[in-house]
Amino acid sequence: MSDAHVSPAKYLWIWVWLAALMLLSVLVSELALPKRTIVLGVLMLSTIKAMLVGLYYMHLRFDRRWLTFLALFPVLLIVLAVGVVSSSQLVRL
Amino acid sequence: MDAHAVTLDHVSTGIPSQKLGMWVFLASEVMFFTGLIAAYVVLRMSHPGWPGPEGHLSKSLGGLNTFILLCSSATMVLAFAQAQRPTAKPGAGWGYLGWTILLGVAFLGIKAYEYSTKLSHGIAPGTNVFWSCYYTLTGFHALHVLGGVVANTWLFLRALQGRIHPASAYKLELAGLYWHFVDIVWLFLFPLLYLL
Repeated sequence: MSDAHVSPAKYLWIWVWLAALMLLSVLVSELALPKRTIVLGVLMLSTIKAMLVGLYYMHLRFDRRWLTFLALFPVLLIVLAVGVVSSSQLVRL
Repeated sequence: MDAHAVTLDHVSTGIPSQKLGMWVFLASEVMFFTGLIAAYVVLRMSHPGWPGPEGHLSKSLGGLNTFILLCSSATMVLAFAQAQRPTAKPGAGWGYLGWTILLGVAFLGIKAYEYSTKLSHGIAPGTNVFWSCYYTLTGFHALHVLGGVVANTWLFLRALQGRIHPASAYKLELAGLYWHFVDIVWLFLFPLLYLL
């Protein structure tokens, strides 16, 4: 089965990392840094947390690689759509 | 060979049909939430001063809810790990599943408290665009959490009856995939709405 490679201890370690990264996100958001840096830092931490959940708790690390593409393809579509909207001369945001 | 393995052997994709179906469903859900989040980001980028001081949300309550969902994801995956062991007794994993349900209910309780506090101060979805986005994003997410709690409760009752065993543990995996997805969505909603 798909999680044959993951022990319960590893699941708990992932949980510790997730909790620590969450705390780090809150701390970073409080720092006196430029807004752009804070946004980048906090969203990067969120992406790392999402990757940990996806790879280990959803077993994507041990499943067929194309399942990851299946899940991420809609994100790509939305990013493209937002890119087109943002760069369009016809749309004034 | 268990029933799950038999299914695995008989599909050309190498993935059991139920699991593939769940992933296709999750892909549509990714589209749904990414669309909503993208709309929020576009609106926010076009209003640099937004949401302003009136858009204050409690970081501690949001952080607590994030922690609760992270804990529930861990208990969910542990329930599956326990139930799918070849030597697992029927109903194994019900304890962790019970914790997952309780944590889901706790998340919804805190969200309900946040909503009632805001509404009592006259902050409703129609107050301004920020609050429309807030109620839409968190409302749809809370509905998904509620759906997960219902599905997990159904599995919990089956586990108590001893009807979850290694051959049917894939049902826990499917519910888990959904639950972890709901967790991932919150991992982005929390910083976007509460921290940034």
